[in-house]
Amino acid sequence: MQICGTDFWVTLINLLSNTLEFAAPLTLGALCGLFCERSGVVNIGIEGLMLTSAFFGFIVGSYSQNPWVGIIGAVISSVVLSGLHAVLSIRFKVDQIISGTVINILAVGLTGYLNRLFVDSGTLPAAVTLPKLGIPGLDQIPVLGALFVQPPITWLAVILVLVANYVMYFTRWGLRTRAVGENPGAADTVGINVYFMRYANVLIGGAIAGLAGAYFTLESTGTFETGMTHGSGFIALAALIFGKWTPLGLWGAALLFGLSQGLSITFQALQQSSDCQFGVSKDVLVMLPYILTILVLAGVVGRAVAPAADGQVYEKGR
Amino acid sequence: MKQRKFSYLVMVAVLFGLTMLMSACDLGGTASSATPNSGAAASNTPAGGAATSSTPATAAGAAIRVGLVTDVGKVDDKSFNQSAWEGVKGAADKNGYKANYIETADQKDYATNIQQFVSQKYDIIVTVGFLIADATNKAATANPGIQFIGVDQFQDPTKSPKNYTSLVFQEDQAGYLAGALAAYMSKTGHIGAVLGTDNVPPVYRYGEGYRQGALSVNSSIKVDTIYHEDNNAFNDPDWGSKTAGTLISNGADVIFGAGGKTGNGALIGLAQTAAQSGKTLYAIGVDTDQYLTVPEAQKYLLSSATKGLSDGTSTLVTMAANKQAPGGNFTGKVGLAPFHDLDSAVSQATKDKITKLTSDIASGAVKTGVAPVKPAK
Amino acid sequence: MEDQSISQSAPAAEEADTSQSRGLSAGVDDQLAPSTGGGKPRPSRSQAIFSALHSLLVPFLAVVTALLIGGVVIFISNVISPPVSTSPLYGNSPFNLTLRAYQGLWVGAFGSFDNISATIVTATPYIFGGLAVALGFRAGLFNIGVEGQIALGSLAAAAVGFNPAFAGLSPWLLVPMCLLAGCLAGAIWGGIPGLLKAQTGAHEVITTIMLNYIAIQIVSVVVNAVKPGNGQVRTPDISLNAHLPVLIATSTGLKQIHLGPIIAILAAIAVYWLLWRTTSGFELRTVGTNPSAARYAGISVKRNIMLAMALSGLLGGLAGAVEVTGVNFYHSQGFSAGYGFDSITVALLGKSNPFGVVIAALLFGALKSSAPSMQFYAGTPQDVVSIIQALILLFVAADEIVRYIYRVKSRGEEKVVLTRGWGG
Repeated sequence: MQICGTDFWVTLINLLSNTLEFAAPLTLGALCGLFCERSGVVNIGIEGLMLTSAFFGFIVGSYSQNPWVGIIGAVISSVVLSGLHAVLSIRFKVDQIISGTVINILAVGLTGYLNRLFVDSGTLPAAVTLPKLGIPGLDQIPVLGALFVQPPITWLAVILVLVANYVMYFTRWGLRTRAVGENPGAADTVGINVYFMRYANVLIGGAIAGLAGAYFTLESTGTFETGMTHGSGFIALAALIFGKWTPLGLWGAALLFGLSQGLSITFQALQQSSDCQFGVSKDVLVMLPYILTILVLAGVVGRAVAPAADGQVYEKGR
Repeated sequence: MKQRKFSYLVMVAVLFGLTMLMSACDLGGTASSATPNSGAAASNTPAGGAATSSTPATAAGAAIRVGLVTDVGKVDDKSFNQSAWEGVKGAADKNGYKANYIETADQKDYATNIQQFVSQKYDIIVTVGFLIADATNKAATANPGIQFIGVDQFQDPTKSPKNYTSLVFQEDQAGYLAGALAAYMSKTGHIGAVLGTDNVPPVYRYGEGYRQGALSVNSSIKVDTIYHEDNNAFNDPDWGSKTAGTLISNGADVIFGAGGKTGNGALIGLAQTAAQSGKTLYAIGVDTDQYLTVPEAQKYLLSSATKGLSDGTSTLVTMAANKQAPGGNFTGKVGLAPFHDLDSAVSQATKDKITKLTSDIASGAVKTGVAPVKPAK
Repeated sequence: MEDQSISQSAPAAEEADTSQSRGLSAGVDDQLAPSTGGGKPRPSRSQAIFSALHSLLVPFLAVVTALLIGGVVIFISNVISPPVSTSPLYGNSPFNLTLRAYQGLWVGAFGSFDNISATIVTATPYIFGGLAVALGFRAGLFNIGVEGQIALGSLAAAAVGFNPAFAGLSPWLLVPMCLLAGCLAGAIWGGIPGLLKAQTGAHEVITTIMLNYIAIQIVSVVVNAVKPGNGQVRTPDISLNAHLPVLIATSTGLKQIHLGPIIAILAAIAVYWLLWRTTSGFELRTVGTNPSAARYAGISVKRNIMLAMALSGLLGGLAGAVEVTGVNFYHSQGFSAGYGFDSITVALLGKSNPFGVVIAALLFGALKSSAPSMQFYAGTPQDVVSIIQALILLFVAADEIVRYIYRVKSRGEEKVVLTRGWGG
């Protein structure tokens, strides 16, 4: 089957594959938000965590010449920064929006500044990227098999959605986390350490955001550019709320955003031949998913209810 | 209460100290001052090896001073800002000028950043990028004693002052050469280009030149040129990488990446796909020899459509320093970068054809037929 | 704790509010909002001054601490990687360069009349943007969409300004028309998420982010349709009659103080007046602090959400309109990049108080407008300014850290709730 001079199935599989990849950092970013907010800590600093870990993933990966080590570097840097968020918002009881904003600005300044230092030193080795991994067997299927060959962080995003769903709803940890996020006072009374749960979940979220950042440098493009996450952290936040703070919901939202990004490439590729014009300008095309999101949100999804204690400082004994 | 008093003491002391520091010290740059700097500045040593004197340059006989204002972006952007700065620095290091730069963070700062150099009586001011042209033209008109060099700024010489020289390039010619090379090398009869926005004229010229060059070799070749939307057009390597992947899966086997980091993303995306799939794929870079700036793609980088941005800037700065700047538009060199690792993959016949095409374009025997600016619909 | 004040009169709630707020805003608050209700005796003048000074102490120390740490960062950078610039204007001992970086900042921000003018002009859009975000916060809404509201406000004002049909109009007519167009565009763009939230519960954080992206595309489409033939992607220049009057000229004719800063101050006063001196302001704040109590007290939550978002958007649109008519004189895609997110920072730094926002915006304007000067004099990367901004916000917010370092005792005030996270 042909569409606009290209094979329809190849185009479709390519679109789905791009969707998965574009959705990966959004999914991971939103999962970061999930762990934080389910435990009652609002995290608006996902963007900053992603940018910082993208940078450190790149630097560590380049110097070690091993992308897997790079991932570790990315995760550690993001955990450290989310540790700052945790200390500020839990220990110092700083307004959590402020703390997240601090992280966002700090990330822009710090990565731009450190990038300058490393680039100017002129000793940076060539960047490394992660190889794509195929699922044995499935990747041998003609045409469709291409969908089962994806880079590791894209796989991880899918796996972590399922893991998060399991952890949140089928384990004690998840129950405690949700209890702390909904009613910390009651959780405290039954002997759950509210502070510990919050610290732990913010750090777990940080580790996941580190993977999202690593996607940009170690998986997608190999190099770091200042401000290269350009707003993905905020779209991840939107996906989290869109998905009503549930792992599967946020994944669906992230896939929708990923699909829209993929579509803009596919449509342009198809419109190359002059006999195949849809009469849709690329501006309209790029705008469409955002309009769609608003419509879906207003029409179908409706009110999203945050965890009851989301963003609220917990003080023992009050 | 004692602690509180201590705090106020700190507050007052710091305020006092700051005021003293800021007002007492002369930055050495203010035009009106000829006195040597006090305090911190007294221990000045020449920086960068090029300076010969640490006294304020208003002193007679001081070296020529060259200032550069970037387009929104930084001097280490692996793109035109960096190339222009390297050109300025090269000329400065060679001839003993003193060079300095300011990076523009916001479009509305173009004029004030230029003014910073103007008010410090710099001799030559280089501005980079198409968008800063208006501000440069105005500053040049207001300051006839200063030579302005506008990189990538096509001007109407009848409306511009004599002290404003533009460095421009016929990117369509470089793109044409790249397109011809791509057409010679393609096995599938399908090539692609991943570009920044076509609303920026040099990008449009590269892209359309590429198409025309390819068609001149093989009139039935399929050429996909995909432009990014305006927003974030030059800073989206993720998109560039995915777009290259899509074109390859549709059958393209040569990809031209032209659009700052977006284009670099396409080169890297091609390299990843080639390494993964084992297909024979070629990438073509842009502006500078990207074998050097995108090492990740070296194994698959066939060549780059280059424009002599550094050389052109360096030449114009040197001419300006010798009071020989031509005024009007100064057309810099364009061409193709060496094949490097893939030299053996290109047949001698192809090399000969490219060499001939290069000289034909330079002599004007071959015209690209590309409009300088994307025509309105 | 607002629950109780619902049943009381507005001034009583006012009282509670002023005594709660502190930080950058509190000093101003104390002076401008003396206790109107009963209860607290009026403090003597010296006590008032002392109290104002005290409430400014911690923010001041926060800024100083941030600058000191910033200095360490610059110093380290100078040691590791001396500036690439070969400017003759400074020596290259790392300490020397660090001092020069700060001198550059100081001179760039306040060193001459022209520079002070540039600082004020740069601060102006942040005042409007900060007010927009702060107003949202006070009503319990998080307007991340200021970016898009500024872009469309700017576009709308430019569209009126360059329209040849209006070019002949007197400035007395055309300037207000441009500003009104900007306000209207912003109010609509802010009002949509308000309407959606009120009617369907669609969360404003998502809708405003989405509307930012849509606004960018709208700007792109419109600008490409009207761009002048020279290849530049921007609207044509607005008519001279649409320029805001210049109040104080600079020697270079660049970044002159135009009417915009005055409008911005008036806007701050208006927002203050609205929030703390009117019934609808009281309702807005009640909805912001406790929607269920507001509902119980018979206040229409939906109406107030729509009102707050529309007003917030209006301020954003005005920011864009003032930029176009006062500074840029045309609109292009790149002109609003980043204002929206910086506005959030300004609002937080100003603790969502209109006058705190003005001070925070001036601080921001000073840092932004002097960063090129810092780079010129010392070759310091401008990213350092972002680091300093983050540290200032950090220390102003986490004042416990500052109090600990400088041994400043807390006066034991209640913390004011700035934001309510994602709300309900």
